[in-house]
Amino acid sequence: MSEQPLRIMLIDDEQIVGKRLKPALEKTGDIVETFEEGEQALARFDETPFDIVVTDIRMEKIDGIQILEHIMAKSARTKVIIITGYATVEIAREALSKGAFDFIAKPFKPGDLREIIERASRELKS
Amino acid sequence: MSITEKLKKFGHKETGVRYFCLQTIRFKKLLENARGVLDLFADGREKLQGEYIFDRHYVVSLIDSVLDRLKMMVYDAAVLVPARGEALFAAYDVHKQTARKLIVPGRAASAGSDFDDPEYQLLAEALQWFNGTAMPTDQTVMGFIKQTFFYVTTGLPAPDILSWGKLSEHIDVLTVGRGLYVIDLWKDVQSLPAHKRTLADFDQTPLRHLLMAASLPAEPVWIAAVSEYQMSLQSIRPDFGFRLETLASGYEPSDFIFIFTDNVTLLDKILPPGFHIESTDFGQFAWSLDLSAKTIEDTLMNIGRKLFDESLRRS
Repeated sequence: MSEQPLRIMLIDDEQIVGKRLKPALEKTGDIVETFEEGEQALARFDETPFDIVVTDIRMEKIDGIQILEHIMAKSARTKVIIITGYATVEIAREALSKGAFDFIAKPFKPGDLREIIERASRELKS
Repeated sequence: MSITEKLKKFGHKETGVRYFCLQTIRFKKLLENARGVLDLFADGREKLQGEYIFDRHYVVSLIDSVLDRLKMMVYDAAVLVPARGEALFAAYDVHKQTARKLIVPGRAASAGSDFDDPEYQLLAEALQWFNGTAMPTDQTVMGFIKQTFFYVTTGLPAPDILSWGKLSEHIDVLTVGRGLYVIDLWKDVQSLPAHKRTLADFDQTPLRHLLMAASLPAEPVWIAAVSEYQMSLQSIRPDFGFRLETLASGYEPSDFIFIFTDNVTLLDKILPPGFHIESTDFGQFAWSLDLSAKTIEDTLMNIGRKLFDESLRRS
């Protein structure tokens, strides 16, 4: 029996991130939805929960920490992975202390994020 | 003798050697900053070719970091050759303006772009400014680095060894033998041993490698400023400009060899494969970074074997 695909939400206000990551993450059969605005992403999350949320930390209007807090309040089982920009590792630590599963710093390769997603997936199944 | 006279004498005694050591240490800082710029180039190239996910902020930070390092380099160069300071800072300002134009928000990409994503396009254009073949050499950062090294290596006054030798206090500082003066880079003149030393008295890794198979000329026409793992070797002949800087600490990411000579063909003859050699109308630069302890030993030994061969230089 084949494994259930993961539902992954990808939030980053830089278009390049969603554009390049989506096809890379879909290669393994997972379902990926991309958003450039946090408000739209949270509205979508309220409609349908996701297994994994990958979000940039620094965005206009709603930042990654606010997204993390919203998701933790709605669905404790969802794993939130934080994308940090250049030299924002300190903020990423704050995110970890607030319940984020892990963080990854830009620039990174899709394969690096895939490894974190696989770890998150294993935790979801355990 | 009054205290004032003693102090005056003390100051005069030290001037030549101390100035030479400070100059050598500053030159090392210049190299470190140049190397920092090259590392940033390499980082940018890797990101462009490696399917990385990055944003505009990464590229802007990279450009800013190059400018910061470049400014430190220019400062080092201006300290070494003050007469060139104004020209160097003016050239730096031109590069700063080029960088600012690159990162203006909303700037249209250059025609014939190879990349769909503006972040990748911006990085590609930054790499052109760094060291691209599509730009005239005198407009690239690499071209500016070469120009800076040229100013420094040709503008530095040669050490006035003869005047040092006249001061008896400096005999301890120098070991004259086998065509080479050796100076302890970090030791204070006053703390040096009273006896005249031989090369064996120096606990000095790069110099030991260099001289392993070398035949030095009889006349002292070379000077080496050394510390345990660092060596700055210079020709003191007026008709032959040569400077070799090396760090052989055994820690691969930081060890390097850098060479400049005003001879336009010498480095092709004396360097083993693996060096990056830049030939110009005014001489040759060469460098090799991230060397293993074994490679640096072999390389210095090979250089030493050929460097002091006069016929090779003249051929």
